[in-house]
Amino acid sequence: MLEDRAGSEDAPDGSGADTTTADPILEVRNLSTQFFTAEGQVNAVESVSFDVYDGEIFGIVGESGSGKSVTALSILDLVESPGRVTAGEIWYRNPDLADDMRDSHPEAVEGEYVDTRRVPTGVRRSLRGPTFSMIFQDPMSSFNPSITVGEQLAEAIEVQRRARANPRSTRSRTQGYGLGRFLTDSLLPSRSYVSAESRERATGLLDQVGIPDSAERAAEYPNQFSGGMLQRAMVAQALAGEPDVLIADEPTTALDVTIQAQILDLLADLQDEEDMSVIMITHDLGVIARMCDRVGVMYAGEIAERGSLTDVFDRPVHPYTEGLLESIPDPDDPAPRLQPIEGNVPSLIDSEMGNRCYFADRCPKAMDECVAEKPAEVDTAGSAEHRVRCVLAEREYDPTRALSGTEEDREREASADD
Amino acid sequence: MISPRTLGNLRREFRSSALAKLGVLIVVVVVGVAVLAPMFAPHDPTTQNLDRSQLPPVGFSTTTNSTSTEMVNGSLEVINETNEINATLTYPLGTDSLGRGMLSRVIYGARTSLLVGLLGTILAAVVGVSVGLVAGYYRGRVDDTLMRSADVMLAFPSLVLAIALVGLWGRAAWRVPDPLVVAGITPEMPASFVLPGTVIVVVGLVNWVWFARVARGEALSVREQSYVKAARSVGASNSFIIRRHILPNSATPILVLGTIQVAAIILLESALSFLGFSGTTLSWGFDIARGRDYLASSWWISTVPGIAIVLSVIGINLLGDWLRDALDPGIGGEGGSGGA
Repeated sequence: MLEDRAGSEDAPDGSGADTTTADPILEVRNLSTQFFTAEGQVNAVESVSFDVYDGEIFGIVGESGSGKSVTALSILDLVESPGRVTAGEIWYRNPDLADDMRDSHPEAVEGEYVDTRRVPTGVRRSLRGPTFSMIFQDPMSSFNPSITVGEQLAEAIEVQRRARANPRSTRSRTQGYGLGRFLTDSLLPSRSYVSAESRERATGLLDQVGIPDSAERAAEYPNQFSGGMLQRAMVAQALAGEPDVLIADEPTTALDVTIQAQILDLLADLQDEEDMSVIMITHDLGVIARMCDRVGVMYAGEIAERGSLTDVFDRPVHPYTEGLLESIPDPDDPAPRLQPIEGNVPSLIDSEMGNRCYFADRCPKAMDECVAEKPAEVDTAGSAEHRVRCVLAEREYDPTRALSGTEEDREREASADD
Repeated sequence: MISPRTLGNLRREFRSSALAKLGVLIVVVVVGVAVLAPMFAPHDPTTQNLDRSQLPPVGFSTTTNSTSTEMVNGSLEVINETNEINATLTYPLGTDSLGRGMLSRVIYGARTSLLVGLLGTILAAVVGVSVGLVAGYYRGRVDDTLMRSADVMLAFPSLVLAIALVGLWGRAAWRVPDPLVVAGITPEMPASFVLPGTVIVVVGLVNWVWFARVARGEALSVREQSYVKAARSVGASNSFIIRRHILPNSATPILVLGTIQVAAIILLESALSFLGFSGTTLSWGFDIARGRDYLASSWWISTVPGIAIVLSVIGINLLGDWLRDALDPGIGGEGGSGGA
């Protein structure tokens, strides 16, 4: 399925290195994740590549079903059956890990970088927490209702603490939590998997994310927390391992607007304090504009357009990006009707995708060449890393070459969807 | 481990439901009687006394007809004699065919039934919940392998399977010293009681499938919760997640199933004893089987242990209903979110 993706397989290193002097902390290359369902093979993520630099916030924006969350889960290796990461490399910069792996897995090491896709499963798991960590969309269901918030946080810290005491050994993380220990723990409430230090640190983390009376709140159950407080606690749990890259998967979607702003401020502050990198996944362009340094616009499992904030917001090339921007209400001028993008995200079933631009069916500027061949990702105006997967990058829209029957097709599709 | 809210739900449901109270009362009485059997039993349940055999329970009387021939005035006459046997307070529930007090036997029988019921259920739960959680958590091939073998178990009629297993392994049983007798509180009672080991193992192995199915279903739903993903995203291992996240949040239906299974296993044990596949003769089912031969003349020998079985099974099921109503948020009123 990669045979016709030659255009995206250019230069794994070096591209866009001019925005920051340092090398990226994370280089995702040609990542593909597919789901093997009864309806057929679904290409949820198709050959996605991007870099994340030290201390930046990289935004991924797109509609529901465009593959944003699956990209995040793929990086953490949390994709579950029937899904599978089928191809791609995830290069993570860590000299220590690279030294450890150089002898046993030379194919997975390149300089200071380690391809987390090619290291053993156990090592990959040991990277969760201290390397990658994730904040989920719905804080209410992200905490185990039968354990107090503090205890759950302390457990996450304890897992990390044990991992550090014996780095990269998978067994050590839950050592001392065998069946016998489990039984005595259940029977004797005084004994516990977590140590006193982890409990203290849990309270400290709750403090850090701005939860008042953290000691008392730690002893409460998740149902006694509000959504915003729980999302703060969720952030605290994600920080437990002091991750290099924090993936925030729609961290504010389930919250009301004032709380959204608080959580975003908190994330920005923490990102500053801890000097970590953040991958911010959202469908809200407002969040991107407020938080991110660079942004990738995802559509149908691919990055349609990428670049700095100004590239994407002020000089969008891809009609999909333009459409997203036009569907934001403008509080200063509420008069004009919003311009929604017609139609829906395609189903992404492999057999129906074909060698063409996936957006052509919904695109107001579709031309004949859009369906003739899948457009490659090309450089375009703007900063050096402004790249777009669209024929319009290289030629102006020509109404005479408009895709024949596009309007009718679109109307038929729209009525079929209703 | 048990959250205050869960306790509140239990208390509220208990107050509002008369059946819950009845169930708890029955279970408390049965358990109390079983634990303190030597103190409650008026006689040694194993001492035979043929002079006092087949005495009826208090409030009933029975007659025995004896026919004899006697020489009266030089001719043979058939004399029909009807003797009335009256109940005695010494044996409030009568005696069996060997003159053993039915009350004492029922009291001691409660021990066997409850021990087999509880230990068998615990064994079934440990095996079944482990299998079910692993199958539901890992899904895929692991799930298929484990649950198909569970289905094979389910395809056997449980009683036939139990009989086959008892036949295969023999009727091993251990004599356990009775703490009350050892301590000298009730020295006249038997110094030990029988723990029917094979039967416990067999009923456990026959019934684990139910636990496996319930636990698998719960694991399948709990594993999709965000907190499981969150735990994985900070590096927790699978076994840690199963124990710390999946098990506690699957506990409620497993607990409810457990109470119902105690009743089912008591019935199964009685059936096994009735058919003679028990390791002990001090069992309700065994007494029912013995009394079958005397149903026409001494109905109580079968009836008394039968009523004991019916009462305890009803009591345990009512208790299970109470737990289910109080813990399951889906059924009636507002329930806990499963924080057992």
